[in-house]
Order: sequence, then structure tokens, then C-alpha cells
Amino acid sequence: MWKVYKYTLIDLARNKFVGGWLLLLLAISFGLFQLEDQPLKAMLSLTQVLLALVPLVASIFSIVYLYDAMEFTELLAVQPLHRSKILGGQMLALGTALVLGTWIGAGIPLMIFQAGSAAFTLVLACTMLTLVFTAMGALIAFKNREKARGVGLGLVVWFLFVLVYDAILLWIMYAFSDYPIEPWIVPLAALDPIDLGRIMVMLKVDLAAMMGYTGAVYEKFFGSMAGTFLALGALVAWVAVPSAWAFKAFQRKDF
Amino acid sequence: MTGLRPWCRAAAIISLLGATGPLGARTWTVEPGGRTSGITAAIGAAQAGDTVRVLAGTYAEGIITIDKPLVLIGVGRPLIDGAEKGDVIIIEAPNVVVQGFRITGTLVSNINDNAAIKVKKSDHVQLIDNIVERAFFGIHVASSRNTVIARNVVSGDPAVPETRRANAIHLWHCSGAEITDNLSQDHRDGIYFEFVTESHIRRNRSLRNLRYGLHFMFSNNDTYSDNFFKDNGAGVAVMYSKFVDMRRNRFTSNRGASAYGLLLKEINDVVIDSNQFVDNTTAILVDGCNRAKINDNVFRGNGWAVRLFANSMDCHFSGNTFVGNTFDMSTNGNPVYNSFSGNYWDRYKGYDLDRDGIGDVPFRPLSLFAMVNERMPYAVVLSRSLLTGLMDQAERLVPSMTPEGLEDDKPLMKQPHGTRHL
Repeated sequence: MWKVYKYTLIDLARNKFVGGWLLLLLAISFGLFQLEDQPLKAMLSLTQVLLALVPLVASIFSIVYLYDAMEFTELLAVQPLHRSKILGGQMLALGTALVLGTWIGAGIPLMIFQAGSAAFTLVLACTMLTLVFTAMGALIAFKNREKARGVGLGLVVWFLFVLVYDAILLWIMYAFSDYPIEPWIVPLAALDPIDLGRIMVMLKVDLAAMMGYTGAVYEKFFGSMAGTFLALGALVAWVAVPSAWAFKAFQRKDF
Repeated sequence: MTGLRPWCRAAAIISLLGATGPLGARTWTVEPGGRTSGITAAIGAAQAGDTVRVLAGTYAEGIITIDKPLVLIGVGRPLIDGAEKGDVIIIEAPNVVVQGFRITGTLVSNINDNAAIKVKKSDHVQLIDNIVERAFFGIHVASSRNTVIARNVVSGDPAVPETRRANAIHLWHCSGAEITDNLSQDHRDGIYFEFVTESHIRRNRSLRNLRYGLHFMFSNNDTYSDNFFKDNGAGVAVMYSKFVDMRRNRFTSNRGASAYGLLLKEINDVVIDSNQFVDNTTAILVDGCNRAKINDNVFRGNGWAVRLFANSMDCHFSGNTFVGNTFDMSTNGNPVYNSFSGNYWDRYKGYDLDRDGIGDVPFRPLSLFAMVNERMPYAVVLSRSLLTGLMDQAERLVPSMTPEGLEDDKPLMKQPHGTRHL
């Protein structure tokens, strides 16, 4: 597995896209921090940009890369190698490359201009989101034979999680506003990994507003460290489930 | 002096030998010793205008009543322990000075307002540099004029529940009070004013009080400036008062569902100038206020910077800085009889073609999401999401839900000078 990991990583290091992604992130981060005279304001803008862009890039790049590497993967699959080790190495390498890109591209500017627990949480949230959407990308790539279809599906999934799900959530809140639905809001939000990442950052930045909410469930969730750990735990589950599914799909894949 | 114990008489005599003072005023010195030491006795022996020096040590004499104008000075910070009999020191005469003591041991009672130092109907009393520990009421002043309360530290017990706590510095029916450089912490209210007029509260710190850092009721023509309020259960409340002047105070970390940096209720003709509001759940709640000038304040990292209720009129916000707040503003109706002009908003995305530092298009501080959140508080989980961002943008382009007249017509392009470092 480590050999697959190593060679995939070397291949990714040569890939122009990963470098481009890193440079884009650097440009966005430094640009925001230099345009705004308030570092806090820049960080909040950066949060919105990153929480939308990171999942998009992670899923689309994983899908495209895995399709492009499909012949190599096929070649590996005929070797006396366990299939889970092939995919494990590839996914790990993809995750490493994208996470490193995020750390350098967004993490370094954040630590320079606005070092603190909020910036650290933002980097952590981006890391987790990268892993979640890499896993989803792998799942989509091995479930669909056609590249165009896979990329399309990746876009749909991203759009669903970044916008549509929140709209549905808001609609649920409106529709059921006469009922005691408060205890359900946080679990429902946990069904969207991007929301989870956003909530993690908000717990550092917007906690004051969170505390303004009277519901006991909210106060328990937001008022302690438990909120951050629960959100992180849910994100780990969001990595584990699509990964396991992708492994299963890969095991059964008939090239 | 016939009732005095022999040793105490001796102490008094010894002290008289070295006593010289202006206008024939004498100085008495009291040292610790025995089961009943002699502060009460010395007060009994002294004449109006005398000074009583109390040397370091512990004095447990029950309730000490000062019934003539005296200067009571602690040397080396003597401890007066009231041993839970009621109040500890009661002042019933004008021109009394109490300085340099450590005082503890009030009786907790919901019938009597027992205090470490209680001032009753006495003018020109000065309470300076005392340390009050674990008292029920710390300093309690009633029906007195021109009281000076300076450099005292009044600390409650953080473990005591609210029902067994009272206010650190409590003034009732007073005028001309000067409250400066005190620290009040872990009580119910840090500083409490009721029917107090023409008074000044300066440079005090009020921390971790269960209810309000400063509580202000029916008190007109007062100023409070350069105070610091942090981690109080409900922040600062100013209610039912007129002509109040608040400048350069800091309101920090007052968090909770009903916590406010500054709660204004039924207030008229008030000036709120150059204050800092940081990290509060609600920085200012304006409920039923008329003619408020809210200028040059900084609102940073609050949940709600301004909650302006529609029952307010003629409140003008100008020169304020709004940065990093979850909501810059919210309201329960249509507060159009108030105005915003020339503030800095970090959410403002307008342009300034003529380069005069003022944005060419107005800013609408009330976002659609803030209105949604007013109806459904749990929607706060969607804060800063792409969806709510798009909703707010659409609403700002074509206002349909938010009140049309509510806008800052001269939003500043840059943060005002002097507030950038905040």
C-alpha cells in the first residue's frame, strides 16, 4: 500500500492542478488579508470562500484524477495486490496532496495574519472537508464508468451540500416552526458536512450569538467544548462512511 | 469612660499622650487584644472631629456604629469581622471617613439589607480603600448626599447562589455621589443605583456578577465613564432614567440568552459616546428610548450589535464602528423613527466614486437573515452560510421584506480613526 501511496503522491506532485490549487488558495488568502484592513473581517470572508471552494475542488479533482488514473489502477489490479491496498494508497495520496495544498495555501496566511483558535478551527474544518469530499469523489469515480457522468454527479453532490440542503433546512424550520423542532436542528445540520465545518468555525467566531438562543439543547451543544468535538466526530463519520462504500465499490468493480 | 475595661482605658490614655491635631481634634489609637477589643469603645470615647487609628489585627466586636463625625483609619489593614450579627459598620453621622480596613462577616438576611458598611442618612461620608470580602451587601448607602466611594475592593463568594447574594455597591435615594476606582466582583449586582441623581461613576471595574455589572433605576442626571464591565450575568441595565451620560466604558463578554452589554429600557435624553462593546450576546438593546445620541462607539464580535425595538424614537447612531458581529442589527418591527448616519459597517460593499470617504449607495444594516432569525432563533445555525449570504445580497439589491427607510445614508468607507486597533 505504501508503494502505491508513494508513486501516486509523486504523480500528484507533478500534477499541475495541485500546484495551481495551492497558488489559487495563496492568492485568495493573501489578497483578502491585504485588501481588508480588519483581519477578522478578512478571515470571515475567507471562511465563506473556503467552505464553498474546498469541497468543490476536493471532489472534482479526486474524480478527474481517479478516472485519468484508471488504466494504471487496472494495471495494478492485475498484480498480486490486495485491492483495498491499491485504493487505500491512492485515496491516502489524494488526501495528503489536497490537505497539504490547503495547509500551505490557506493555513500559512491564516497563521500569519489571524493566528488563533478560530483560524486553527477553520484549517481543521477545511482539512476534514477535503477528506470527506475526496472519499465521496472516489465513491463516485468507482460507481460510474463514464467520466463526464462522474464529474456531473460530483458537481450535483457539491451543489446539494453547499446550497440546496441549507435551503431545505430553512424550509423545514419555516414549515415546522409551530412545533418544538429545536432539538432536531443540530442533528439535521449534521447531515451536511459543509454545515458541520461551518458550525465548527462559528463556535469560535459567532459563539456570542449562539449563546443568545434560549433552547437548552443548543446551550448544551454550543456552550461547551462538546460542540466542537461532536462536530468533529460527525465529520470523521462523514469520511468513514463514503470511504467504506468506495472500498466496497472498488472491490466489486469489474474493469 | 466608666464602662470601659481597664486595658482599653489604658490604651486610650497611652494614645492621648501623643495626640495632637488641628482645632483640638485628638487622635485615638486602638490595638487588638482580648475578647472585645476597643473600636467601639474608642468611638464612644472620641469627640466629633477626632481620628481613630486602628492598628493591624483582628477585631470582632459585633456591629460597630459610628454616630459622630469621625475619621476611622486602619493602619496595616486591620480586619473587622462582624461574626454574622447583622451589619458590620453602620454610619449614622455626617463627615465620617472609613479608610484602610478589611471587612467581612455580614449576616445574610432577606429582611434586613445587611452590609459590610452601611451609611444611613449621612452626608459627606467617605469610604476609601477598604477591602470587603464575602459580604451580603458590600457597601450600602441610603438617603445620603455627597458620598465618596473610592478605591474599594468588594468581592463576593463565587460559590454562593443568587438567593444569598446582594449588591456590591448599593445606593438608594442619594445625590452627588462619587464612585471611583472600585472593583466589585462575584456579587449580585456590581453597582446598584436607585433614585440616585447628580452622581458620577468613574473608572470602576465590575466583573463576574451574577446579575448586572451596573444596575441603574430611576436615576437621573448621572454620568458614568471609563468603567469596565466583564462577564456579568446580564451586563449593564439602565432603566427608567433621564439625562444619563455614558462615555468610554467597556462592555465585554456578557453572554447568555438574556445578557446585554447595555440594556436601555425607558430611557430618555441619553448620550452613549465612545464606548467599546466586545463579545457580548447583545451589545445594546434599545427598548422604549427617546432622544438617544449613540456616537463613536465600537461594536466588535457581538452576536447582535444593536437590537432596536420599534417603540424607540429619535435614537441617532453616528460614527460607530461595526466589525465582526453576527448581526449588526435586529428589530421587532419597523423602527423608522430612528436614524443611522455616517457609521462604519464591515458588511458594506458599496463604492465611493467621488473619493470623499463616504459610500455613494446607502447601507441597510437590517439583513433579511436577521429578520428570519428574529422569528426563528434556531435558524442561527445557518449563519454565514452561502444560502443566507445570497438571501441577504438579494434583499439588499431589491428590499422587499426589510423596512425601506432603515438605512445608513452616509456609510463610511474606512473605519474611523482611533478605532482601528480594536
